[in-house]
Amino acid sequence: MEEGRQEQEEAEEVEGRPCGEGGDHFDRLHDAVLLDVLNRIGDVKALGRCALVSRRFHALVPLVDSVFVRVDCVIPDDPPPSASAGPGSPQQHHHQAPAAAPVARGRGALAHFARVLLGGIARPIHALGQILSPAAAAVSRRAEPQPASPPAPAADVSHHSPSEVLRSFKELRRLHIELPTGELGIDDGVLLKWKADFGSTLGSCVILGASSVSSKTTSPSAQPEPAADDSTAASPDSNRETEDLGSLPESLYTNGGLKLRVVWTISSLIAASARHYLLQPIISNHATLESLNLTDADGQGVLTMDKRQLQELRVRPVSASASSHRTLMPALSMRLHYAPLIELPGGTQLKGATLVAIRPSEDALREGQGVGAAGSVGTCWISEAFEEPYRTAAKVLLKRSPYCLEMNSF
Amino acid sequence: MASAGSGDEKAATVTLISSDNEHFEVPEAVATLSQTIRHMIEDGCTDGGVPLPNVTGRILAKVLEYCNKHAAASDKDELEKFDKAFVDIDDQATLFDLVMAANYLDIRGMLDLTCQTIADMIKGKSVEEIRETFNIKNDFTPEEEAEIRRENQWAFDD
Repeated sequence: MEEGRQEQEEAEEVEGRPCGEGGDHFDRLHDAVLLDVLNRIGDVKALGRCALVSRRFHALVPLVDSVFVRVDCVIPDDPPPSASAGPGSPQQHHHQAPAAAPVARGRGALAHFARVLLGGIARPIHALGQILSPAAAAVSRRAEPQPASPPAPAADVSHHSPSEVLRSFKELRRLHIELPTGELGIDDGVLLKWKADFGSTLGSCVILGASSVSSKTTSPSAQPEPAADDSTAASPDSNRETEDLGSLPESLYTNGGLKLRVVWTISSLIAASARHYLLQPIISNHATLESLNLTDADGQGVLTMDKRQLQELRVRPVSASASSHRTLMPALSMRLHYAPLIELPGGTQLKGATLVAIRPSEDALREGQGVGAAGSVGTCWISEAFEEPYRTAAKVLLKRSPYCLEMNSF
Repeated sequence: MASAGSGDEKAATVTLISSDNEHFEVPEAVATLSQTIRHMIEDGCTDGGVPLPNVTGRILAKVLEYCNKHAAASDKDELEKFDKAFVDIDDQATLFDLVMAANYLDIRGMLDLTCQTIADMIKGKSVEEIRETFNIKNDFTPEEEAEIRRENQWAFDD
């Protein structure tokens, strides 16, 4: 590694080494240029192989600043998930709220949903924890005697944690991790996507959902339908609604539609906070990190952290939520926008489309928006959360008057 | 002789001289895709031409092909198609020559393109294949190699 640095410094003066006998063309490139090439490889496995190619490659690979880790599989959890961590799961040394209290201390209905949810989706989240657990085990090593499982990564050699894989990258600036699937099991035909950014805790979250997604199968003679939602279109949620003002149709309260959307919201937030929590060891091991993205191959959830947020996390460590392995959510201010039917560019139809824009109550208040304000000030973070065709859906939904919710910290 | 751009429609040109003494007269608007040349023009030291001792005529011609296209066209799809064809080169030596030229002349787009091409050639290959493709000598001792392979076991699981 010393060599690499020296050569980088001399790169400007030296014209590159003379071509070897057979023509190893890389010999003609300065280290800085070779590093540029390596920085474009992305895939961490390819980089791992590069490190074995030659001494020069081996010296340069740890300097790569942009890495993509594709997590291949998620190991199923053994112990049943429970509020108190099982023998295999590492205890965190952060303070824990009394385990007896339900995780969501919200108003009745919401707390109930949260409890229901934890049963339903906790398993995938613990599974997520498992693949990263050798790293977490490293954290817990400091806090307590060894966990029940052997300290070395399990005899099952094909499972390595992102932390382990990233260990040699000392100059990491941009990191993208992709999970194999989204954490939330949803029924066919249902759309649920979330995007969240975090510092020490949630910065903001946008959720887009629809109770059904279908491609338009009507006649090929495309009538010039307005791209915006058609508020008079029949939809399962609003039987005979003419809610052109965009407030939630009465039926949504009675047919369980609102409850469903709250469930979507809480599940997404739990998934996001669990991802965030698991990133801590990686973040603390890589002080040079400036951008972090954690996505999944299903395109369900995207977690991002920018430079400022990473810095904040280093300065203010994460608080765990009760005894679950996820970051504590602060009190949240939410705006839910609903439209019975939206047609996207490309012909896809979203029924019961819902957009939920979430921020810590503290932030919302600070910006003078309060609970009920639906101002258009600074809504870029909402309208640009998703790529097309969902971006259009979000913009359409934003025009509808929101239903506002407050949620306690959980 | 290069003149400072004064809105003169008959565009100012600059002469680039390759290592093998080929002369290329090039509009400034095209030549300035190279930051190196742009700085020289700004510093007013392009009288009599700009010698480029690190770039042969053959490669310089290709570089200018790139610059001409990118200075003129604005259609993204068209440029993408051009770029793809530009780096579709059988001869590795030429590809690396282009990388070096892009680096020396500081042409960001071309450097991105050529480096990415090489990166794409590396991705997905096994260690042996990488060595073979680029004729890289394995200068590890067997022990060293075994140790590194063990450390990076995760890269070899599939």
